[in-house]
Amino acid sequence: MLVIEDLYSGYGELKVLKGVNISVGKNEIVALIGPNGAGKSTVIKSIFNISDVSSGKVTFRDQDITGLRTHEIIKLGISYLNQGKINFSNLTVKENLMIGADQIFEPELVEEGLERVYNKFPDLRSKENELAYTLSGGQQQMLALGRSLMQRPVLLLMDEPSLGLSPKLQKELFETIAGLREEGISMLIVEQNAKKAIELADRTYLLEDGKVVLEGGKEILENEAIKNVYLGGRY
Amino acid sequence: MSLLAQSIINGLITGSIYALVAAGYSLIYSTNNFMHFAHGISVVAAGYMVYWLFTLAGTPFYVTCIITVILSALFGLAMYRLIYLPLQRKGASNVILLIASIGILTFFQNVIQIAFGSGVKLIGYIEVAKGITFAGITMTLLQIVILVISFIIFIMLYQFMQRTKLGRNMRAVSNNKELASIVGINHIRVSDFSFLIGSGLAGVAGILVALEQNLSPLMGTNLMIKGFTGAVIGGINYVPGSIVGSFLLGLAENLGILVLPSGYKDAIAFSMLFLFLLFKPNGILGKKEGRFDK
Repeated sequence: MLVIEDLYSGYGELKVLKGVNISVGKNEIVALIGPNGAGKSTVIKSIFNISDVSSGKVTFRDQDITGLRTHEIIKLGISYLNQGKINFSNLTVKENLMIGADQIFEPELVEEGLERVYNKFPDLRSKENELAYTLSGGQQQMLALGRSLMQRPVLLLMDEPSLGLSPKLQKELFETIAGLREEGISMLIVEQNAKKAIELADRTYLLEDGKVVLEGGKEILENEAIKNVYLGGRY
Repeated sequence: MSLLAQSIINGLITGSIYALVAAGYSLIYSTNNFMHFAHGISVVAAGYMVYWLFTLAGTPFYVTCIITVILSALFGLAMYRLIYLPLQRKGASNVILLIASIGILTFFQNVIQIAFGSGVKLIGYIEVAKGITFAGITMTLLQIVILVISFIIFIMLYQFMQRTKLGRNMRAVSNNKELASIVGINHIRVSDFSFLIGSGLAGVAGILVALEQNLSPLMGTNLMIKGFTGAVIGGINYVPGSIVGSFLLGLAENLGILVLPSGYKDAIAFSMLFLFLLFKPNGILGKKEGRFDK
């Protein structure tokens, strides 16, 4: 579904990715792990054309999407859940949900999407007229995920969705993510929690210094290097 | 007592002009994040447009007003498309855009000076009229019109920002630019409209200023500073805040000269600007980032 070939990318003079090859298949969950600064987020930003891609190619459903404008990429069915400030804090919950979808869909489809998201996350329905910054951390994450789902993606790019969530909320989030796959959404997830990521994903890529150094399924949990460096084995 | 009431009314009238300038300015600032000081020249150019079309060429007044507002809006759009956007595409920082905006302001002030001379111009649409006195307060018909028109415009602007998709996109861009681009909002389109609407508001301000005061080529700088001060007082990133702040500025100036010599009007404004920048840079109603922004 998504194929990244020999991608070089960064920000201005700063070169972050140095020849990355990654693919995501239909209905597949793929995780990207690695140390800080390895370029995990930059992979996602390159797909979405908000970093400076210097060479390489990104194809989605056999179409070259390298250099397409962001809203064109969204129309093709890719949605991006960023990290950091994940909601429009001064807009209401309902406005936050609508704003992603009403750039690309007719009002009826937006309304229908709103109903689906409210059914999935009932907390959001009861708070639909509240400003987003009044929500708790977990609800913020739901809202951001809900907004991505409003765009009806077939591929969802997630940048550290569990960041800052309590273990209980993380567990719920990973259950939600597993549920999204059942609805036919493929996912590429950047995750700080390597163990959780590997367990959740069908395949995992380990990124170090802008290059993929390891790729595999759940069996890489047993890999010595992964164990030592990312799963706390050496402590 | 009536002196106090009169000062309050005068403050509201002055404030409504400042607020028209400030609303446009803060709409542009909040969606583009740089100081568009050339906004002042949009106001002055509109004033001179009225002078040229109406006083010199004899165009009917209402036609003059419509043409002026449309041209002001397009003038703003042209500044964005022909100067700011090309600079941004070359990677110009916001400081460079600020310098460019001062350059535009100076350039067009001089163009107006060359075209119309540096002397003061009068529109002469409304004969100098004896004011209407009610309960000890004197107002001219024009001043009542200024108050009513600006209030109608502010209500329309608020409804537009709250209820339309474009208004929502503008608020989203001003709240979080990075996220706005991630959800697919076309920021150039949003900037186009913020310059169109903001400069259109400057056009309205220009018409009212031209009717209420005398025109001079350099008045844009002063109006811009007052509009900017009003915006800072209320919250430069938040359009309703900048409107409220401008009214407060108008009131403070007019109430201040009850106790200070009238030459201190500008000093009051600058003192307020200084104090707010120092102690409350987000302004009275300016919004900070939410607590739970992760």
